[in-house]
Amino acid sequence: MFRLSRAAKLCAVLLMGIAVSALQAAPRTPTQDTEVLERLPFRAGDTTARELAALRSAVAKNPRDPSPTQALAQRYFELATAQGDPRYVGYADALLGRFSATMTAPLLVLRGMVRQYRHDFTDALSDFAAALKLDADTASAHAWRGAIYLVRAQYAEATKECVALSTLGRPVLSGGCTGLTQAYTGQLPAARKTLQQALATTRDDDQRLWLNTRLGEVAGWLGQPALAEQHYRQALALGVDDGYLLAAWSDFLLDQGRADEVAKQLAKWEASDGLLLRLAEAETLLKRPSAAAHVQALGDRFAAAKLRGDTTHQAEEARFHLRLRKDAKEALRLAAENYRVQKEPRDARIVLEAALAERNAAAARPVLDWLQTSGFEGQPLRALAQQVQQLPAAPVGGAK
Amino acid sequence: MMRRIWLLPVLLCLHMHAWAHKASDSYLVVSAEGATVTAQWDIALRDIDFALGLDQDSNGEITWGELRTRQADIAAWALSRLELTRGGGACPLQIKELQVDEHTDGASAVLKLAGTCAGATGPLGLHYRLLFDLDSLHRGLLRATVDGGTHTSVLSPTSGVVQLGADGISRLQQFKQYLVEGVWHIWIGFDHILFLLSLLLPAVLVLDGKTWRGAAHFGQAGKEVLWVVTSFTVAHSITLSLAALGLVSLPSRLVESAIALSVVLAAANNVWPMVSHRRWVVAFCFGLIHGFGFASVLAELGLPTDALALSLLGFNLGVEIGQLAIVAVFLPLAFALRDTAFYRKGVFVGGSLLTMVVAALWLAERAFDLQLITGAGA
Repeated sequence: MFRLSRAAKLCAVLLMGIAVSALQAAPRTPTQDTEVLERLPFRAGDTTARELAALRSAVAKNPRDPSPTQALAQRYFELATAQGDPRYVGYADALLGRFSATMTAPLLVLRGMVRQYRHDFTDALSDFAAALKLDADTASAHAWRGAIYLVRAQYAEATKECVALSTLGRPVLSGGCTGLTQAYTGQLPAARKTLQQALATTRDDDQRLWLNTRLGEVAGWLGQPALAEQHYRQALALGVDDGYLLAAWSDFLLDQGRADEVAKQLAKWEASDGLLLRLAEAETLLKRPSAAAHVQALGDRFAAAKLRGDTTHQAEEARFHLRLRKDAKEALRLAAENYRVQKEPRDARIVLEAALAERNAAAARPVLDWLQTSGFEGQPLRALAQQVQQLPAAPVGGAK
Repeated sequence: MMRRIWLLPVLLCLHMHAWAHKASDSYLVVSAEGATVTAQWDIALRDIDFALGLDQDSNGEITWGELRTRQADIAAWALSRLELTRGGGACPLQIKELQVDEHTDGASAVLKLAGTCAGATGPLGLHYRLLFDLDSLHRGLLRATVDGGTHTSVLSPTSGVVQLGADGISRLQQFKQYLVEGVWHIWIGFDHILFLLSLLLPAVLVLDGKTWRGAAHFGQAGKEVLWVVTSFTVAHSITLSLAALGLVSLPSRLVESAIALSVVLAAANNVWPMVSHRRWVVAFCFGLIHGFGFASVLAELGLPTDALALSLLGFNLGVEIGQLAIVAVFLPLAFALRDTAFYRKGVFVGGSLLTMVVAALWLAERAFDLQLITGAGA
């Protein structure tokens, strides 16, 4: 029969739970002067902070001299890629925009780098072209141009940049460029050989990190996990923070069913959206209690990015919707939109995964075409493409 | 190593450190009524520090004391980068209060501003250039209300100058928009409908000892329905408002699982009666949970900060109208059929059992993050 007291107790428990988790989210006036509101990325005494301060004062002393501006913008850009913090890209861009004297080749290259970071590939390419016009020996302009062409799947154009790098006597850059072009165009064993040769030539930590990361990816595509792990570990052993490396290594581990290692590796990288995505995926697979909060945080961040009209994280957002929100439809929309701008294997993969979940082979057509024309041999991608091709021709209605 | 020693405090303070790295945004809410302008401007502390330097003791932390004592500098700096005009002249702004708030990428200073314009009519002109000299990726996220018309805009180095007329989206349009969303979301929210129906199914019946008999007259059934629907409404309005205003937040998985559980229990109660009188108490308790479910929908839609209460009311009313429409269709039908075997066995028992199974599958899906039914049909 009816038990009001039990219902009332349940009600009380519910209300208490609500009260406990109440959060402050409205403007407030702190009561204590000592309350810490924010922690800055660096203390004034940290090496990086001192270095930045010195570079800034050099710019302030000589605002019309290109070299201090170049050094500071370069440092900002490095910080952005290492920490995954886009504020530094904005700093670099504003710094370059303030430079009133004539742009030099290195400054143009930096502006191109900033523009490609924002996925403004067309303007970036024109900056690199302008830099080469001023100084035909600007190897970095060729290297970045090659990278953009690879992202856009323009392999003939990329090859020209690789040749130019070789002509300039830059074997490591040229090897990286050629190796990746080979990897994306169905020559994985040759790609590995080229990248290995480049690796053997260089003692530079940054280059070794980059080459080992890409070799790890190539080995993964070749279906050689032990070799891939070896390369990733060599890259990690250099002890340099690098967002791309950590993302590639985490994706590899997730594919290998080693989510626990991802959770451990990325525990302190929540600030970077791309790495938080991998962390949340790992925690979800492991059914960790922290997963829910991280998924929520990612959702908030994508919503915040949307408010400002930022679309540079569409590939990650697609993965977020597919794997964490189980919303294949939205995932497919984002993945397809991203694929119009970026066409690397990881961009292709999320399109295929979302198309498969949504049972919509037609939406995956551009990726299937790319696989056909490029001849890309990466294993997981080929298997996914086959599954997508076996889907019934017409998309099935998405009713629940 | 240093990193290891720091691990523990970092883990303990996760909620403090879990700020995102994202490009810089400020949040500017402007309201102009005639010549009177008020504004709230949230600017990230990291950005203020980059522009002015806030960390006086160089320990890498910004305290309330360090912020508070620089109020005049901060206001002078910010206000030199924002110009409002109306009626052919400026609207000089002054800082009334300095507070703090948190956004996804960290703490912000909240500048409460007010001023009077040269004129009381015509469009409001706004020229925004905060931080553009230092950070070209900075954006100002503007929401402005000019004599009741609402505008939103993303202010960038190339779009920092805008003219805002009184012809923005009116309050009434906004209200209507949220009302329609409310109706729509109760209709496509199968779990809410099933919960409500599970409570309504027995409304045309009366438990007499261990057997059910039909309600004697329509008024008896109607009264029961009124109680259930009203208490459900009151309860979810409470939690919906609390959650939408950001006063309370619960993890979505918990909420979604609890909603599924509420459907299982409500349907089970029809087959094995535990609570047969005062079902409104059940409706109220579980209504609290369903309110959080509606709130997540509303969070996805986004609430305009200036017309918050109005939009919230619109959404809530929409949910009620949607609910009443369901009741209006259900109640006469159920009352007419209440003495038939089709209703007693087929709809009441059969329907409740079916609802239980579906909701139990939802519960398993949501609680254990599985794909049982939702994925199969998609």
